[in-house]
Amino acid sequence: MSPEPPAETVVSRRTFFQLSMGWIAGTFAAAATAMATVRFLVPNVVFEPAQQFKAGSPEDYPDGSITFLEDERVFLVRRGNSFRCLSAVCTHLGCTVSRADRGYHCPCHGSVFSPEGTVESGPAPKPLAWFLVTLSKDNRLLVDKNQFVGPDKYLIL
Amino acid sequence: MKVPRNRLWTWFAATRVGKSIFRVGPPHSNLERSQVMVSSFLLHVQPAKVNRHSLRASYSFGLGLISLYLFFILCATGVLLMFYYVPSTTQAYDRMKDLQFVVSAGLVVRNMHRWAAHLMVAAVMLHMCRVFYTGAYKAPREFNWLLGVGLFLTTLGLSFTGYLLPWDQLAFWAITVGTNIAGYAPLVGSKLKFLMLGGNTVGQEALTRFYALHVIVLPAIAGLMVAVHVWRVRKDGGLSRPEESPDSVQSIALGELPTNKSYGLMELARGTTPQVGQDPDDEVFSWPHLVFRELLLFLIVVAFVLFLAVFWNAPLEELANPIHPPNPAKAPWYFLGLQELVSYSAFWGGVVVPALIVTALVVLPYMDRGRRGVGHWFARERRIANTVFSICVAIAVALTVVGTMFRGPNWGWVVPWRTPPPTLEGH
Repeated sequence: MSPEPPAETVVSRRTFFQLSMGWIAGTFAAAATAMATVRFLVPNVVFEPAQQFKAGSPEDYPDGSITFLEDERVFLVRRGNSFRCLSAVCTHLGCTVSRADRGYHCPCHGSVFSPEGTVESGPAPKPLAWFLVTLSKDNRLLVDKNQFVGPDKYLIL
Repeated sequence: MKVPRNRLWTWFAATRVGKSIFRVGPPHSNLERSQVMVSSFLLHVQPAKVNRHSLRASYSFGLGLISLYLFFILCATGVLLMFYYVPSTTQAYDRMKDLQFVVSAGLVVRNMHRWAAHLMVAAVMLHMCRVFYTGAYKAPREFNWLLGVGLFLTTLGLSFTGYLLPWDQLAFWAITVGTNIAGYAPLVGSKLKFLMLGGNTVGQEALTRFYALHVIVLPAIAGLMVAVHVWRVRKDGGLSRPEESPDSVQSIALGELPTNKSYGLMELARGTTPQVGQDPDDEVFSWPHLVFRELLLFLIVVAFVLFLAVFWNAPLEELANPIHPPNPAKAPWYFLGLQELVSYSAFWGGVVVPALIVTALVVLPYMDRGRRGVGHWFARERRIANTVFSICVAIAVALTVVGTMFRGPNWGWVVPWRTPPPTLEGH
């Protein structure tokens, strides 16, 4: 008959399986609960204005104008027959920029942007975004804030 | 100190009802003075006897207790405000106006809540400085310092979620800037921002979330941590003291409990039981010496907050306007140092520096192995630690002063003694 191993130093096979099953089950339960909780807090439906909007007819904007559309927080820029749409949301921390003598200023932390949206000074890490402007079937300017384009992309009528 | 004998209380405590409520009546002997401390639910977290050094106001300035009392005031006034406040973007601001002009004493309750919140941030910061400069975070109090760091962050979280609720300009732009800073966090930044706002834009979902955090999640966390923090002060041997050398801090194994004690097991704490106290002459009975000082401090704190609330109104800016940020858009004073940093770089100022500060505070008690210089302000043995900490505090104060006084429209430089030129809003 072999001597019994000392109980406190050697874990028996049965205890080892019991312990590992317990720890694995416990870890999975905790992880699943945490993931489900975080997932619960991420909304599946958001009640927000659409990212795509109509900005009226091209004639509403005089030649050479830069118009601030309040609700959408964008600037509509017309030069000749070309139309572009510039975001008014500062790329630093999301404040609304306002027009200055030349370009745009952010009041929160002092970023300065050129008329083309590039950063001239201040903490903004990247230039203001330009959005895709197209013409809808009923001859309205259609801006899609989900589609970013370069500053050299115009809608020419 | 002569204990005032309150006849009404003495009479009441002797009645049948009184005896059922107070397990020990007004104490008349030293035995009863220790019994009253350990047999009362409200008092038993405190020791029966307390070291004279711990009672010295010039040592602790009572800053921890002041923070605790402000937390009580905030809970009480906060619950009152909840009876009128509605967390809705269309109603919140009107409810603030109602509290100001319609609800009886609404103005004072709101003012008390606001000023107590500002004072609590200040008290917690000063308490942290006190603990550092007296070396009180050293063993065996490392974990309590950690809890203190957690409480400091929870206090800031409570302030941040709190000043969003009025849905005024400060509220709206604070959420905008705050959640955008979270967006700079590496890897999870944009997801974190979406989670905080409950969407892509600052609106009703965000207000609902911050409301739930402010009125239940964070207060519950803070309450729990306060309870453990206070309990650990007691179990780690009371306030830090100079005579405390490592060998006077002793733990007693449960099997070695002294049997000659007139009071119970709950007395057991490191280094404070009368049996292990090396010089009992230095200890006085908590009743009345500690309890009455605590009551007095509570009255002073309440009176001070009430004084502020009666004579100064809490600010309420204009209704939140997503189109026009106020210019300059400034956070409350305790975040202005951070805002100044963020104005140089959102990632470095808003993510890296705060993360480094928190990490440094967390590892501090485990990195600092020195046992000397505990219980003295600015101990000579801790000259290097104190100098480094003082430089950090000085930088934080300087950034805050710059952000508060020297920043004007477009976050440009201004000098406070000259009115800034009017800015052109070029829309």
